[in-house]
Amino acid sequence: MSDLKVDGFQSSALISSLSTAFTNYSPAEKAEQLKKVNGIFQLNVKNDQGTEAIWSIDLKKNGEVYKGPAKPKADVTISLSDETLGQLASGKLNGQKAFMTGKIKTKGNIMLATKLDGVFKATKSKL
Amino acid sequence: MSFQALISGSECAAPANPLNQVLKHTEADRSLQQDRVAGPSSSRLQQLPSSSAPAASSHDLALARQFFEGNNGVSGAFVPPLEISREMSGPNMHDTWIAEQQRNMQHFEANKMQAHWAAEFDATSKAPQNQGPAHSAQLGPVSSEPQQLMPSHIPQTGFYGNYMPRGMYAMGAPQMFQDFGAQQFVDQGKGKGKLREIDFEAAFAQAAASLSSPLVEKQDTARITEVKDDVAEIEQALKDTQLDGEPQTNAEFRRVWEHLQNSDAPPPEEDLAKWEAEFNQLMNSERGDDFDYDYGRDMEEAWSNSFGGYPETAFGDTPLKYDSEGIPILGDYVFGMSSIGPILQLRILTINPETDNKYMDPSTSSRSMLNDAKALLEQNGSLSEAALLLEAAIQQGDLGEGGYEAWILLGETRNMDEREEAGMRALTEGVRRAEEAGNAGEGMMSLAISYTNESMDKASHTMLLRWLRARFPDFPVPEETIQAMKTHSSWDTHTRISESFLNLARSQHSQGVMDPDVQVALGVLFYTNGEYDRAKDCFESALSVRPNDYLLWNRLGSSLSNGSKPEEALGAYREALSLRPTYTRAVYNVGVACLNIGAHKEAAEHFLSGLALQEQTSGDTSDQLWFTLRRAFLAMASR
Repeated sequence: MSDLKVDGFQSSALISSLSTAFTNYSPAEKAEQLKKVNGIFQLNVKNDQGTEAIWSIDLKKNGEVYKGPAKPKADVTISLSDETLGQLASGKLNGQKAFMTGKIKTKGNIMLATKLDGVFKATKSKL
Repeated sequence: MSFQALISGSECAAPANPLNQVLKHTEADRSLQQDRVAGPSSSRLQQLPSSSAPAASSHDLALARQFFEGNNGVSGAFVPPLEISREMSGPNMHDTWIAEQQRNMQHFEANKMQAHWAAEFDATSKAPQNQGPAHSAQLGPVSSEPQQLMPSHIPQTGFYGNYMPRGMYAMGAPQMFQDFGAQQFVDQGKGKGKLREIDFEAAFAQAAASLSSPLVEKQDTARITEVKDDVAEIEQALKDTQLDGEPQTNAEFRRVWEHLQNSDAPPPEEDLAKWEAEFNQLMNSERGDDFDYDYGRDMEEAWSNSFGGYPETAFGDTPLKYDSEGIPILGDYVFGMSSIGPILQLRILTINPETDNKYMDPSTSSRSMLNDAKALLEQNGSLSEAALLLEAAIQQGDLGEGGYEAWILLGETRNMDEREEAGMRALTEGVRRAEEAGNAGEGMMSLAISYTNESMDKASHTMLLRWLRARFPDFPVPEETIQAMKTHSSWDTHTRISESFLNLARSQHSQGVMDPDVQVALGVLFYTNGEYDRAKDCFESALSVRPNDYLLWNRLGSSLSNGSKPEEALGAYREALSLRPTYTRAVYNVGVACLNIGAHKEAAEHFLSGLALQEQTSGDTSDQLWFTLRRAFLAMASR
């Protein structure tokens, strides 16, 4: 998991925790998540210094998080800033608003990107 | 890291290390040319097991550098082959080189001047003749030291695509066909062109040879004979033209050309083909298997990807399917095993179709299960227990009002008990039956909320719209909105449906009415969109009408919790739990709020109590609770 870390990125911790969560899934839970989301995401995250880190979240085939571009091809590629990703994950910003205000740029199946919200916030209170 | 180690292994290991060879090969761009200048000295050639060649003189290397640097500036100019080779062996290399370059430039500019042509011809026409002996002189040692031949090749071959400029030269100056010099020149150009091609082929072959040592000997000898052939060809052509050496006409040129074509020298095309075949064979044998296999696999992957992704996940589970309006296709409710994964369900079903629902005991069948369940729910009894009663009731055909009541109640009970998927299935069935019974709208709100919890936004929107139209048939909903459900994105449908509900709420408000259900629907809509503050307002106004609705308290708490106010949420959950102590979902939510606050230990305690609540009756617990409990423990561990 340590190689998921990229220095100078807040979202690094977020990604690692996501990965930890994934690795701790039981097969049934994993299957459940894969079934629900069924997509491969690639996050191109830029920090304040302008450097870019790429992580991929595979919730289609293997249910894993890794650094670098998605393989096979991502269903949706999301480009956003480090800060935006943090805000999205903490729920301070919602995906639609971020998209509309240009904080998020996507390539591919945009609607799949909305499901990522649920991935990051696996511990959401329920109505 | 490891890659670096692979390629930078010791030199002696090189022949055994394919990666190293690949690297060398990619470097060949430059090294190839350097070899030609510096002869056997280059590092690449030292890879050859057969190379017993003498070490390069630094002089040669300097020469090579000079050549490359000098040529950069005059890329368009052609370099008369012989002159370079002559100069190169001379003592005062640099000066003559520059002078030569300048002269070439002048030649280039003044190509119309006949005088120059004569001079040029004098110089160039000697080239092949002089080279002839040079070659034959070299051929002796060459057989033992193949690389020795290389230096003599440089001038002929030229770099930077000298062939092209020369070709253009010839084409751009048609008048050349009228003078002997030009004719000679073109002839030579053609001959050289071929020679040059062959040289490149030879260079490639040599590069390939460095990959496969056993073939080296064969390669080199083959190359040598070929070069000789070409020289002979040119020599012959020159002799012919010089013997005729009379009027400078096109016809003359053609004749010579034809003669060249039909000359006894072996046709170069054949050689090229031969070389190509050999080269291909070599390359294939060297790396064919690996690379071809990878490529094939990649293609296969790309192919399968383009067809709607993977038919199966790693777990052999088919992805959840949705209908055109985003409603998930879940399949039928499975009795007695609400929270078990589908694979497990199947196994249990085959072993024991009825499972151990104690209420399925025939002796108790005289009572109405449905009424029992309702009473149990009324008395704050165990939710799991009530759910079992309801399942039994349904299986015995005691479906209650309109044939859907039990289903919807079961769904709602399951949801309260933190078993979302089972609840969703039961509610789907209930909603379907309610619609069939002409009482559309029942259970839809609960189902919409269930979808929301599972992040199925579009399904939630669809369901809310259906609820709206069933509940308020008089309220005008734009046709466009209804159509949009099928094709538009969930963002668009959200905007449209929120609009409709807001209009409804406003019209109700103007009549002095406040429908809590509409408020709940609005709250759910805001909630899906992450507008937790507005969702909170909606649930609060609904609570002002129904202060004892524990579901509403939980929803209020949930909005607060997800809106980054978990501390305030705890108050709302407490209300819900004081109204309904066995409300598993509220217990779960308290745990989540604690987790978000950072009180991991407390969170774990709440999850455990939720599990205990489920376990004490049916022994059947919810995956969601276990999963979140694990998260809590992980959070504790990472501190």
